[in-house]
Amino acid sequence: MSEKGNHLALGKVRSKLYKGFSIVVITLLAIAFAFPLYWIITGSFKTQAAINSVTPQWWPSEWVMDNYQKLFSRQVAPLWECHIPFTQVTFAGPEMPAAVRWLLNTVFMSLASMVLTCITAAMAGYALAKKRFAGRTLLFSLIVCAMALPKQVILIPLLREMADLHLYNTIWAVIYPIVGWPFGVFLIKQFAEGIPGEMMEAARIDGASEWKTFYLIALPMIKPGIGALAIFTFITSWNDYFMQLIMLTSTSNLTISLGIAKLQAENATDFGLIMAGAALASIPIIIVFLVFQKYFTKGITMGAVKG
Amino acid sequence: MKKKNSMSRALVMRETVAGYAFMLPSLVFFIGFVIYPMIQCIITSFFDSTMNRDDIFIGFQNYIEMFHDSVFLGALKNTFIIVVVSVPIVCIFSLWAATVIYDLKGPVCSIFRCIFYLPVVTGSVAVTVVWKWMFNNYYGIFNYVGTHTGILNQNINWLGDERFALGCVILILLTTSVGQPIVLYVSALSNVDQSLVEAAEVDGATRFQCFWKIKWAQIMPTTLYILIITMINSFQCFALIQLLTSGGPNHSTDTIMYYIYYNAFKLYRYGYGNAMGVVLAVIIAVLSAVQFKLAKTD
Amino acid sequence: MQKRKWLALTLSLAMAFTAAGCGNSGGTTDTPAKDDGGGSVSADTEKGQSEVSEPSGGNGEATEITLWTYPIGKWGDAATVDGLIASFNEAHPEISVTVEYLDYTNGDDQVNTAIEGGQAPDVIMEGPERLVANWGARGVMVDLSDLWTDDAKAAIYDSVENACQNAEGVFYEYPLCMTTHTMAVNREMFEAADALQYLDEEKGTWTTEGFVNAVKALYDSGQTNVAAVYCGGQGGDQGTRALINNLYGGTFTNPEHTEYTANSPENVKALELLKDMDGINFDASIQGGDEIQLFCNGTLAMAFCWNVAQEANNAESINFDVIPMAFPTESGEPKLCGGIWGFGVFDNGDEAKIAAAKTFIDFMANDETQVVESVKASTYWPVKDLGNIYEGNDLMGEYAKFIPFMGDYYQVVSGWAEARTAWWNMLQQIGTGAEPATAAEEFVTTANQAASGS
Repeated sequence: MSEKGNHLALGKVRSKLYKGFSIVVITLLAIAFAFPLYWIITGSFKTQAAINSVTPQWWPSEWVMDNYQKLFSRQVAPLWECHIPFTQVTFAGPEMPAAVRWLLNTVFMSLASMVLTCITAAMAGYALAKKRFAGRTLLFSLIVCAMALPKQVILIPLLREMADLHLYNTIWAVIYPIVGWPFGVFLIKQFAEGIPGEMMEAARIDGASEWKTFYLIALPMIKPGIGALAIFTFITSWNDYFMQLIMLTSTSNLTISLGIAKLQAENATDFGLIMAGAALASIPIIIVFLVFQKYFTKGITMGAVKG
Repeated sequence: MKKKNSMSRALVMRETVAGYAFMLPSLVFFIGFVIYPMIQCIITSFFDSTMNRDDIFIGFQNYIEMFHDSVFLGALKNTFIIVVVSVPIVCIFSLWAATVIYDLKGPVCSIFRCIFYLPVVTGSVAVTVVWKWMFNNYYGIFNYVGTHTGILNQNINWLGDERFALGCVILILLTTSVGQPIVLYVSALSNVDQSLVEAAEVDGATRFQCFWKIKWAQIMPTTLYILIITMINSFQCFALIQLLTSGGPNHSTDTIMYYIYYNAFKLYRYGYGNAMGVVLAVIIAVLSAVQFKLAKTD
Repeated sequence: MQKRKWLALTLSLAMAFTAAGCGNSGGTTDTPAKDDGGGSVSADTEKGQSEVSEPSGGNGEATEITLWTYPIGKWGDAATVDGLIASFNEAHPEISVTVEYLDYTNGDDQVNTAIEGGQAPDVIMEGPERLVANWGARGVMVDLSDLWTDDAKAAIYDSVENACQNAEGVFYEYPLCMTTHTMAVNREMFEAADALQYLDEEKGTWTTEGFVNAVKALYDSGQTNVAAVYCGGQGGDQGTRALINNLYGGTFTNPEHTEYTANSPENVKALELLKDMDGINFDASIQGGDEIQLFCNGTLAMAFCWNVAQEANNAESINFDVIPMAFPTESGEPKLCGGIWGFGVFDNGDEAKIAAAKTFIDFMANDETQVVESVKASTYWPVKDLGNIYEGNDLMGEYAKFIPFMGDYYQVVSGWAEARTAWWNMLQQIGTGAEPATAAEEFVTTANQAASGS
């Protein structure tokens, strides 16, 4: 009896020790994870001398805006350009530092990819899960196989295709392949499987059209999935770099990721300037993330429930 | 009898039409920007194709050459190293981190969760450039800390040294990969049936047994999902390599993804690049299929 | 309810960003107005105007062309180039020029994707190794023979003329400026290590032995990073080539430019020497551009990727005295790598654009007043006799002494793009322990294959 008690007590001590130890480790790791961001932000305000010194300044001894000034004075681009198809008319916004335009392009690209992906994937995922049609299994297998396909595989054909479609060097050349990526269909399909067949049967007997059944019955049920997909797509397209690298060339068409990558190629070791670009690229999305943190985590989690 | 048959046929018709109608928008994009280029890719892989010249049919020559190309084989190996190292580490680490964080409860838990998610939202390019600075041979922070604490005898050229470059790439990949799994695991753990856990504890199960026998089974679906997204993530690590090392030094960080790009735009060998793409696609398709089959049977 | 929440989230995301964008736009619109005197902005407003006023363009149709430049002196600097284009537009308001700036790290990839994407630039500014040996050889460029009038041929130096055409005599480049690539040393560091004795500062030359001793002296004085044989990519590779060729008098190709000779005993000996020297690292994490910056900020004592433009462009970040030097040789007769830069035209199938592109080139390189400005923008020397355009410029005067050392312009061998890729790969191999002889042998095999293949 007492031996067992001893054992338990020992176990408790051990468990306490383990707990304390893991908290220390996780805190250290958290610091390590936050450090790059800290380094970006402080680095962007450091002087050239502080950046290049062999002894790093953990906290900038002098805060300067030089790097941002350099970043914004480098190149200019109109804030927006809107071309009316089949005409010569182009509306251009006021001239802005190119980096601002890049940010705007990235936002547009991410939002457009997100919206298009959600719409197409919601419909397709629903059809795959709930409609019995010929070729369904084949399509689904194709989707599963293509899901992990890196875009580098289809690099050259895709580039030539975009050239033929006259989409090369437009933001759409980046958006369409993201929308075509079938992960979203897969995700929504998993959700849609949970829609009870009876509900759809009932709707059919009531004489509801296919579209109405989808819109009124299925859509509300797969909404959490769409939320998850929306966040997932937004972040993936925000972080995407490869398609942009291949498809975009004009200064006014770049995205912020590509812009920083170019900054780095042109200015090799001017890390202050590069960090200013990195800060500009990351701060907005981090703010959005922190503000909507609850939805983010919820959205991300939703995806796995049915995974 | 006859009537019923035609009825059901009408139903089948209706299902098929509706099915394809719903699939249509997605199929336009999927076929247009994934399947069609993939077919093109397969066709061109049998040609000697380069810039501004008619393609020359060469049969399986590209494929044969590939398996004699030591750089390609090295790239294949590196690709697998990246996937094989990062996927398990991400899963195990994030599970461990999630259990620790989960125990903290409340706002502390969500702060930690946020911090580990930060590298994901910071963006791959921004993360890469800051790591490039930290790894810098001459004034990177790693060398400074290493030499001043006595861990390193002399500066290490992290990204320029064959022995370390791939490890550095994987390290960065890890930091950008664990955010999502941790969030997923934390929420999966909170969905674990607590009464079962308590019952087991009363029965004298150790912490480990408790975890393995009860929690693990319940978070299995999450684990599978994490495996899929981490694998996808690891195969997509192009930006890291292009910006950090360009595949060097001495091709030690080449992955197939980067080597395709390298062949296309540095060596102008489109056919050869496409052939590699086909091989990679087949490998990935098989992996996905296997993974999917496993998930199904589980 | 749930749905509306998501909608709200999406919308507010969108709003947040647009608001951020607009906020910024409101905040900074005064910048252009403030800077209006500067060349940069006025050129841009001009560009904007020509876009808007397109239909009322007056004489003939308006043509839009794109110009892509590599960072050739100040031709990589937006303010300078906008100024040049502004003067072009004064003479030719009917042609509007959009400029994109390339870098030596990713620029080639970018042009290559653009060619495949069907949107190659109309005019590109670079040297024969790209315009003639690479894109010209691939048939994507326009023959510029009509710009090469007899007058032009008479005026432009013969060596330059030869470099701008392929073996069949088709011209793919119209040259603007030239220089010799040198190396540079940090005077303060050399002084501290008592290594100045190994330099002939006046002539700008030194011997291989002197070089070895100087590196040793610097290394012993505590400067662990004396120099870097950078090989992270092709950027600035002329520096490493020239260094290795000069040390023991090797050559890179045969005189006919048909075969590579980088595996000759002289070159292998040079590679072995560099590999074994303390203080010289084969650094695969940097390229030429990075090396320049490391030299300028005082990390390295020597730069191999140097020329006059580097000193002019980095003037504000250099706080020591730079001594430009030729590459060390045994004979005392260095053969420096030349750089010849000019314009090429991509064949995009639009005659009007090709004509406009040629007008642009003609104005930039042949207009009597403009050519001086164009050349000065590059901070290099003209390819024909324009008199002394750098009268009173000490820096240009100092570097002019290297021009007689200009060596053979061999970068026009076919398959050059593949060969130079193989070159930095070879240096990486040696840096990671491969035998110089074997690595050089492999390089020559690959490079010769590329040379005979296409």
